[in-house]
Amino acid sequence: MPAEGIRSIRLEGAMTIYSAAEAKPSLLDQLNPPGQLALDLSAVDEIDCAGLQLLALAREEARRAGGELYLAECSEAVHEALALGGLASFFATEQEAGE
Amino acid sequence: MIDMGEVLQTFIAESQELLQQMEQALLDIEQNPDDPDTLNAIFRAAHTIKGSAGLFGFDLIVAFTHVAESVLDRARSGELPIDGTLSALLLEAGDHLAGLIAQLDAGASLEALPPGIITRGEALIGRMGQYLEASPSEARGEPATSASATASEADTGRDEGHWHLSLRFGPDTLRNGMDPLAFFRYLNTFGRILQVEALTERLPSAAEMDPETCYLGFELAFVSDADKATIEGAFEFVREDSLVQVLSPAASPDALRAHLDALPEDPADAGERLLRCASVSRAELDAVLAPVTAMTEAPAVVAQTTLMKAPVDGPVPAAKLRGDNSLIRVDAGKLDQLINLIGELIIAGAGARMIAQNSGLGAMVEATEVLSRLVEEVRDSALTLRMVQIGGTFNRFQRVVRDVARELGKDISLQISGGDTELDKTVVEKIGDPLTHLVRNAMDHGIEPLEVRRAVGKPLQGRVSLNAYHEAGGIVIEVSDDGGGLDPQKILAKAMQRGLVTDGQTLAEKDILNLIFEPGFSTAETVSNLSGRGVGMDVVKRNITSLRGTVELDSTPGVGTCVRIRLPLTLAIIDGFLIGVGQASYVVPLDMVEECIELPPGHLDGRDYLELRGDVLPFIRLRQLFDEASTPPRRENVVVVRYAGTRAGLVVDQLLGEFQTVIKPLGKVFHQVSGLSGFTILGSGDVALILDIPGLLGHIPRTPNDLRQASPVATLT
Amino acid sequence: MSKTILIVDDSASIRQVVGISLKSAGYSVVEAVDGKDALSKLDGRKVHLMISDVNMPNMDGISFLKAVKQLPAYKFTPVIMLTTEAGEARKQEGQAAGARAWIVKPFQPAQMLNAVSKLILP
Repeated sequence: MPAEGIRSIRLEGAMTIYSAAEAKPSLLDQLNPPGQLALDLSAVDEIDCAGLQLLALAREEARRAGGELYLAECSEAVHEALALGGLASFFATEQEAGE
Repeated sequence: MIDMGEVLQTFIAESQELLQQMEQALLDIEQNPDDPDTLNAIFRAAHTIKGSAGLFGFDLIVAFTHVAESVLDRARSGELPIDGTLSALLLEAGDHLAGLIAQLDAGASLEALPPGIITRGEALIGRMGQYLEASPSEARGEPATSASATASEADTGRDEGHWHLSLRFGPDTLRNGMDPLAFFRYLNTFGRILQVEALTERLPSAAEMDPETCYLGFELAFVSDADKATIEGAFEFVREDSLVQVLSPAASPDALRAHLDALPEDPADAGERLLRCASVSRAELDAVLAPVTAMTEAPAVVAQTTLMKAPVDGPVPAAKLRGDNSLIRVDAGKLDQLINLIGELIIAGAGARMIAQNSGLGAMVEATEVLSRLVEEVRDSALTLRMVQIGGTFNRFQRVVRDVARELGKDISLQISGGDTELDKTVVEKIGDPLTHLVRNAMDHGIEPLEVRRAVGKPLQGRVSLNAYHEAGGIVIEVSDDGGGLDPQKILAKAMQRGLVTDGQTLAEKDILNLIFEPGFSTAETVSNLSGRGVGMDVVKRNITSLRGTVELDSTPGVGTCVRIRLPLTLAIIDGFLIGVGQASYVVPLDMVEECIELPPGHLDGRDYLELRGDVLPFIRLRQLFDEASTPPRRENVVVVRYAGTRAGLVVDQLLGEFQTVIKPLGKVFHQVSGLSGFTILGSGDVALILDIPGLLGHIPRTPNDLRQASPVATLT
Repeated sequence: MSKTILIVDDSASIRQVVGISLKSAGYSVVEAVDGKDALSKLDGRKVHLMISDVNMPNMDGISFLKAVKQLPAYKFTPVIMLTTEAGEARKQEGQAAGARAWIVKPFQPAQMLNAVSKLILP
C-alpha cells in the first residue's frame, strides 16, 4: 500500500512503441495534480525503449512540477527492461520516499 | 539439424521451373526487347537460383549465377541492350545451369563434375564478364552483413578488462522497429553487460517530446571474448543512423581520446561516464583530458552547459566522424570551375548590393547584405577546398638535395619544418620551380666546400632548411642555409659596375643584399666573384612576383643566408579596398591596408612625404602615377599600406570602402605596366585596376635621408 | 511463448530452409509467397519480425514494406530485407521506406539466425 500522502498511478498492458503515442498524454494527465506519485507497473507485461523513455519523461515532468515520481511495483518484464536499460536506479523507490 | 535431402528436391524442382521460364523469356525478348516485365522475369530467375543455391552451399552455382545476374542487372537498368548475341549467350548460360541442376538431380556432387562441364562454365563466365567491364557493381566491396566494415583498428578481444560501448541511437531507431534493448539482449548471448548507464539528457520537454522518436543514449561496460567486429556487428542495423563507439579493453590513451572526441558531449563529461562504468581509471582519464581541461577554467561547469545544449536532433552518423572514411577525391578541374563560378557570384552579388543601396529600400539592402555574407562564407569554404599542405612539395626536395649533394661532392642535409602549412593548390604548383632554383643555389653556392667548413670549424655536414608558416593573410616560405653568406661590399661594387646604383646613393645593407634580385645584376660572369650567388635570381623574383608575392634575402657573412618568399594564400579572390582617383577606380588588397587618413590640406604641395605620429611616411600620388588630368577634389585622402616591413601612403581622391573581388589577370599588353597586378569587374560593370602594392613600394625611398636625396623638390619646412 | 516471424519469399526452398532453421532455434514461423500473400497473413496475429525478399512477383518486397508501414498494428515491426549485391538501387528505395536490416543473398542459415537474434531472441 502506498504511504500517506502518496498517490498511486497504475499502468497496465504493453508500454511499447505501438502504444507510446496514446500512452504519453494519458500518463502525463495522471501526473496532475503534481505531488508525491507512486508508479505501479506490476500489470505492465511488455516494455521496450519507447516505454522506458516515457517513464523517464514522466519522472522529469513530475519533478519539474515540484513533485516526485517513485517506482512502487513492477512486473518481471519491467524489472528486466529497467535493469537492461540502465534505469534500475533511475527511480527512487517508495522506501526511500518514506525516509 | 536440418534434413537437407528433404528440401534439395524442392530446390531442384524450383530451379528447373525457373530455368524454363528464363528460356521462354529470353526467346520472347528477341521479339520484344524493351519489355521490362520480361527482362525482370529473366533477372528474377537467376536471382532466385543464386539465392537458394547459397543456402545449400552450392558455391559453383552461386558464382555462375552471380555473373549472369550482374549482366542482367545492367540490362535491367538500361545500361546494356539485350541483342541477339547477348540473349544467345544467356540461353547458353541457362543450359549450363540446367546441366548443373541435372547433376544434382542425379545425385552427383558438384565437387566432382566432369571436366568438360567445368571448362564450359568458366568459358561462359569469361564471356559474360566482358559485358561487365567498367560496371561499378563489380567493384563494390563486401555485402552489408560484414560487420567489420567500420572497424578502424584490428582490435581483438582480451581476457582482462572489459569493452566500453558508447551508443547514441538515431531518432528513427524505434520507428524502424529496432529496440536498443534487443541489441543488449543479443550482446548478452556472447558476453555479459556489467553496467549500463542511460543518457536521458536528450529528452526534450513533455510538449516537444515525440513518443516514437528515440532520444536515448547508453554507456555500456561489456565483458566478452568476442572481437571488436562482432561487438560492433550487434548494431549493424542501426549503424547508419546512430553513433556506435566501441572502446577495447586496455585501449591506448589515443584510442580513449578518439573515443571521447567522437561523442557529441563534452569530452570531460563523457569521460566521467566511462569512469562510472569503471572502463577507465581516474589517472588514465586525467592524462587524456589534461590538455583540454587546462584550457578551460572551470571544466565541470563547461561540461554542464555543453550538455544542456547537446543537440536533440540525433547524433552525427558514425561514418562522418571517421576521418578516413569521409575523404573523397575530386577532380581539380571541377574545383576550379566552382571557384570561378563563385567569383562570378561575388561580382553579381556586389552588383545587386549596389543596386539595392541606390534603390534606398531598407529591406532590400538588408537582404543583399545577408546574401553577401553568405556568399563570403561560401567563398571561404570553397577556397579551403583547394588548400593543400606544402609538405608534399617540401618532401620532394629530399631527393633533390641528396642527388645534388652527391653531384657537388658535399655532405648536405635537408631540414623541413612547417610542412602542414596550407596554401592554395595553384600556388603550390607554381612555387616548385623557384624553390628548386633557390635550393640548388643554396647547395651549390651557399654551403661551403668541405675543406672550408673544416677550416672555419663548422660542422662538416651543411644544412639547407625549408620552412613555411602563415603570416598576415599570406604564407611565408623560407629557404635557408648555414653556408658562407653574402658579402654586401662585393655586391655593392658589382651593382655599381652594372649601373644599378649610383655613387651618391646610400643603401642599407639589406637593400644591398636584395640587389641580387635585380634584372641585369646577375650574369654568368658574376658567378665566381660573388660565390655564384645571384645566378638567375631575377628569374626567381619574376616568378614570385607573378604569384603576387615578394622575395627578400637576409644574410650574415660566415653564418648563412635565408631567402624569404611571401605569397598570398590564394590567387583567385582577394578582399580589396576600393579607392577612386578621378573617374577611375582602383583596388588595394585589404590585408595590406593599415589605415586611412585625410591628406593635410595646402602646404604639402610638391612634397612626397608627410609626418604621421612622429614618423616620416613617404607617399605616392596616384593622380601623378596614372596621369590623371582632372582637377583634384578639395580634400584628398591617404591610404596607408604596409608590405613586408615597408610602409607608405597612397594619395587618392575617394575612399570607396571594402570590396571583395575576383582577380582577373591583365593581358600581355599590360605586362610592362608596373604597379598593376590585375583587374576586376565591379558590380556596376566598370573595370577597376588592382594595384600591385609590393611593386609600388619598391620604388619608394625608405628613410628621410633617402627622401631628400631621391626627391630634390621636397624640403622640410 | 515463442516469437513469431513472417517469412516472405517466392522461392519455396528459401522459405523451407529459413523456416526450418528458425523453428529449430525456437521461433514460430508464418510463410508467405509474395507481398500480397504476406499482407493477407497480417490478419491481427502478433508478428515480432518479418523477413522479406525484395524481388518477388505480384507484390515485391519494397511495396510490401511500404504497405506494412501503413498498418497501425504492424508498422513498427522490424523487417529484414533479403537482397543481392546487384540490387543497390532497390536497396536505396528500401532504405527510404524505412528498411534498415539487410541480408545479402546468398546466405547461410546460421547468418540468418544471427541477424534475427540481434532484433529478437526466441
